[in-house]
Amino acid sequence: MRKRDTIVAVVVGLSVVVLAGCSSSSTATSTTATAAGRQALVGTFRLTAGTSTASGATGTYFRMIQPNGTLASGPYFDNPDSTATDKSYTLQVPGTAGGLVTDRFQPNPSPAFDASGNALAGAIVAPTPFSAIAFGISTDATDPQTGKSVPAPSISFENGKITGQLESWTASWNKLYFNQGSPKPDGTSPGLTSPVSGTYDSATHAFVITWASEIVGGPFNGFTGYWHLQGTFAPGN
Amino acid sequence: MTSTTFVPESGAAARTGGLPVPVATVAAGRRRRWPMIVAAVLGAALVTMPLAFGMFSKTPKGAVMLSEFHPFMTTARLDGFQTDIRQIDAAVKENKTSITQQFASAGVTRADLDTRFPSLASLDAQWPTINSDMTDLLNKVQGNLGNYQAIDALPSFRLFPWFFAVPGVLILGSAVVALRRLRLWRPGRWAIAIVGIGLVIAPAAFQMFQRAPDGGRMMSSFKTIETTGSVVKIQDYFATMASGQGDLRLGVVPALEEGGLSGSQVAERFPAVTTLDRNWVRILNDLTPMIGAMSDNVPNYRAIASLPPFPLFPWFFVMPGLLAIGASLLARDRTEQSYNQQQGES
Repeated sequence: MRKRDTIVAVVVGLSVVVLAGCSSSSTATSTTATAAGRQALVGTFRLTAGTSTASGATGTYFRMIQPNGTLASGPYFDNPDSTATDKSYTLQVPGTAGGLVTDRFQPNPSPAFDASGNALAGAIVAPTPFSAIAFGISTDATDPQTGKSVPAPSISFENGKITGQLESWTASWNKLYFNQGSPKPDGTSPGLTSPVSGTYDSATHAFVITWASEIVGGPFNGFTGYWHLQGTFAPGN
Repeated sequence: MTSTTFVPESGAAARTGGLPVPVATVAAGRRRRWPMIVAAVLGAALVTMPLAFGMFSKTPKGAVMLSEFHPFMTTARLDGFQTDIRQIDAAVKENKTSITQQFASAGVTRADLDTRFPSLASLDAQWPTINSDMTDLLNKVQGNLGNYQAIDALPSFRLFPWFFAVPGVLILGSAVVALRRLRLWRPGRWAIAIVGIGLVIAPAAFQMFQRAPDGGRMMSSFKTIETTGSVVKIQDYFATMASGQGDLRLGVVPALEEGGLSGSQVAERFPAVTTLDRNWVRILNDLTPMIGAMSDNVPNYRAIASLPPFPLFPWFFVMPGLLAIGASLLARDRTEQSYNQQQGES
């Protein structure tokens, strides 16, 4: 009798441990509670390719606003190589990783450019022609433009609303780097820089993430990149 | 003063009836203190000057500006920029003439083309202004190549505040020590004189009398270039050129080919557009970093421009140098002078 009680106790105990472990593991690979109600989305934001529409574009795309412009009405830098009808939209397709990964970096390769200045970073989105030279996107622990250390991307949601930081988001083009994060690597939000925001459907995992980031320094100083990422979130790294 | 040295019978000793007089007694009474006080003030002024002008924060910015302009300030590179603009000019003109005629022969009007290729139409419309402004900018930069090279040949801008502060500290320190410890009067005088001579020689040694005015001319010429407004204008031109070239490369040339011309026929009949398309990536590789350097150095230029005019800088060395030498001479010990005179007379 005593022996059977011992076996039952051990089985129950082990079950509790295993169940607790499973529960904990399940949480870690999908969403992690960060504050009351707010949950971190750790995994891959799988991107849907951008497509041209009558009103502009949908899916994943980028626009560049000229200095002294506004997010709503530009003026925009028309990318002659854009496949969109409206050349102010640069449509993008998912890269080799399928999209943006949170909680870790997707750095530039080495070398980051070919001899003509085409970017070779292709994990998040495929290198995209921009005025005859391809640009790439990466997230690096050390921002290549400013040399500052930046945190890995983090995105969370609450009640379907996305917030987060993408300080390390960098565009590379023509052997130059342009930090396109929000906030910027020094924590500020200059000019038209706007916070990372969007929507997340926890049932379907569908997301839309947008933000704007003013370029500080270099040939496009004062221009602002507007980023629109759309797709489906896949938990786990 | 505790010196026990005695001077020969002369001057003060003679007036005491031939009794030897300690130097201390003589020196305290016969040395001119005011030239040494002037030297101390001069030293303090030299130390204060770089602080007053904000040189410690501004001159490193000048060093950064010169360094970032360095890759572009060569005859070959500047000639290359002029060639880039001439190639764009030739392509724009070719589009307006022979390419427009080619389309016209197929019944496509200029208005049709402008509607179909709006970015190229925008480039066409703006090109006279862009061409004029870009050529003017490049001419100005090229015209200042010699001035840039002259100023770049000076010691690093980062060192300039120290060129004032270090001699200032030496002169101030020597003067204060000499005033407080009379036995160090003579070494103090010598130190001040040597530093003064150094200050007078330095501008000549660094050829500052030629180079500083050259630098001043460069700063004047860049006054209209290194402004936020000018940089934004160039960025705007860049966007117009890039979009317009894109229409030529991705719209007009394919349309010509769709109209029945082969690639080689397009290249043969429209060589300027073909050349521009072939060289476009190289032109971007060339122009983009230059615009970046222009943009990044607007605050650096402002910092340097807020310093006193460059041509004055050699005099900022020479004048204190002469004053230091003068003070040193005037602070000469009268006892020593009269002794030397008597020695000369005997």
